[in-house]
Amino acid sequence: MASTSEIKKGIVIQDPQGLWLVVEFQHVNPGKGAAFVRTRIKNLQTGKVLEVTYKTSESITIVEVEHRRMQYLYHDATGYTFMDNASYEQVTMSDEEVGDQGQYLRDGMEVNVSTFEGRPIALELPRKMTFKITQTMPAVAGNTASGNVTKEATLEGGIKIQVPIFIKEGEEVIVNTETGEYVERA
Amino acid sequence: MNLENVKRRSQVIKRIRAFFDDQGFLEMHTPRLVALPGQEPHLDPLWTEVHSPSLQATSYKLQAGLITSPEYAMKRLLAEGLDKIYDLGSCFRDGEPWDGTHDPEFLLLEWYRRDAGLEELMKDTEEMIRYVASSLLITHYSLLSQPFRRLTVSEAMKQYANVDLEPLLDDREALAQVVIEHGQTVQPTDTWDDLFFKIFLSEVEPSLGWNDDRTAFQPTFLYNYPASMAALARKDSKDQRFALRTELYIGDLELANGFAELADPVEQRKRFQEERELRRSLGKNTWPLDERFLKALPSMGNAAGMAFGVDRLVMLLAGASSINDVIPFSAREKFVPEEE
Repeated sequence: MASTSEIKKGIVIQDPQGLWLVVEFQHVNPGKGAAFVRTRIKNLQTGKVLEVTYKTSESITIVEVEHRRMQYLYHDATGYTFMDNASYEQVTMSDEEVGDQGQYLRDGMEVNVSTFEGRPIALELPRKMTFKITQTMPAVAGNTASGNVTKEATLEGGIKIQVPIFIKEGEEVIVNTETGEYVERA
Repeated sequence: MNLENVKRRSQVIKRIRAFFDDQGFLEMHTPRLVALPGQEPHLDPLWTEVHSPSLQATSYKLQAGLITSPEYAMKRLLAEGLDKIYDLGSCFRDGEPWDGTHDPEFLLLEWYRRDAGLEELMKDTEEMIRYVASSLLITHYSLLSQPFRRLTVSEAMKQYANVDLEPLLDDREALAQVVIEHGQTVQPTDTWDDLFFKIFLSEVEPSLGWNDDRTAFQPTFLYNYPASMAALARKDSKDQRFALRTELYIGDLELANGFAELADPVEQRKRFQEERELRRSLGKNTWPLDERFLKALPSMGNAAGMAFGVDRLVMLLAGASSINDVIPFSAREKFVPEEE
């Protein structure tokens, strides 16, 4: 048995309804109340998504998943295919399973893939990645009065993010892949 | 830290003070360092020691704590005869997640009025936020364009979770059944409040501060909590099962928590003792009740008081996603080793 304080993104919980992947989690202390962990979990057999809140002292069963370093190969109609460089074994995750993370994948890059009983269930990207700005508007003079003004920029691969107005086309910026937000100039 | 937001925080603080000063409130600077901090079961004070030759009888030192809120001092000042007072300063809470909405040292605003209830608190809060937002030259249409929504806890549970709360108020078993039907876990040790929060936190709270399609903020006061969830509040005279407590939600943030304050020292002592018991059962340390506070309570009258998270208001007005972006040198910047 494990404690709910060990809950984090990518772990798998087992309960009588089956195996659940933790997709999101957040510690919450409602106005001077006890401590809880609010989660969004996805059933690995049925794909059903539930929002469940646990008390932090509650016991849960966390099942062991394997973390493997893999190389991203290509994307096609079946989804995203990765290869284990040690065993040359290939696995494919569907577009739905990869979700928004897919936009950050670049051919040949290394990622962590969690597998359960040989099946890929979750993808972990480097938290910070560098991208080149392919398109953004030039800064407009006099538009700085109200503080951190941002503008939209398109990154290589077509990702759109908000960047500070001083960022120019052709510059490289660091993006937080968990939040999709601009971090700093590369 | 984001320097623009730190500058904005300074402006927000100035505007808050201007608002309360204009309304005839007097700013108090209550102690941060106290002998007996609040004993709420789920808040943990930070402890230290004071040393002085004046403390000879106790080997020159005494335990001291940093306040989790200025509440006790503010109520004692009301009991001394003051009316309409506010305090804006750092408070300290240990053991909370550093998740972007908490910092162990944060700016808390509290204000109190004699002979007042939740209605006055909600009105003050709404007017203060409009005043601050409108003066910052930042367009926050949804903060300024519509009156803040007011929902009772029962109405919110019905609207967002389709749960009729009232028949469940005194019935833990019935509530446990509902909790299971909502796909949640139930442990034998879960209290009524724990079970309530499992539904509330999953299905109600995330929606409270947003309009129906989550495209704009909808500032919402939640009020009239089940009596067990308001240790320092008066009960509703029309329905004793509920207590006069309110919280304000905007977007994903909980910004304020207020009470029509309990002034009955006998009832307050009983609730303090229950809270201390709960602390003990959770394996936490306990300390004596604040007798000076209890003695002053009857002189306080029917007061109402609100606690308001200033850093969170700055986050909202600056569009910052983390408290770490609005305070200079957050806990993460002070205590977490720098990333490679």
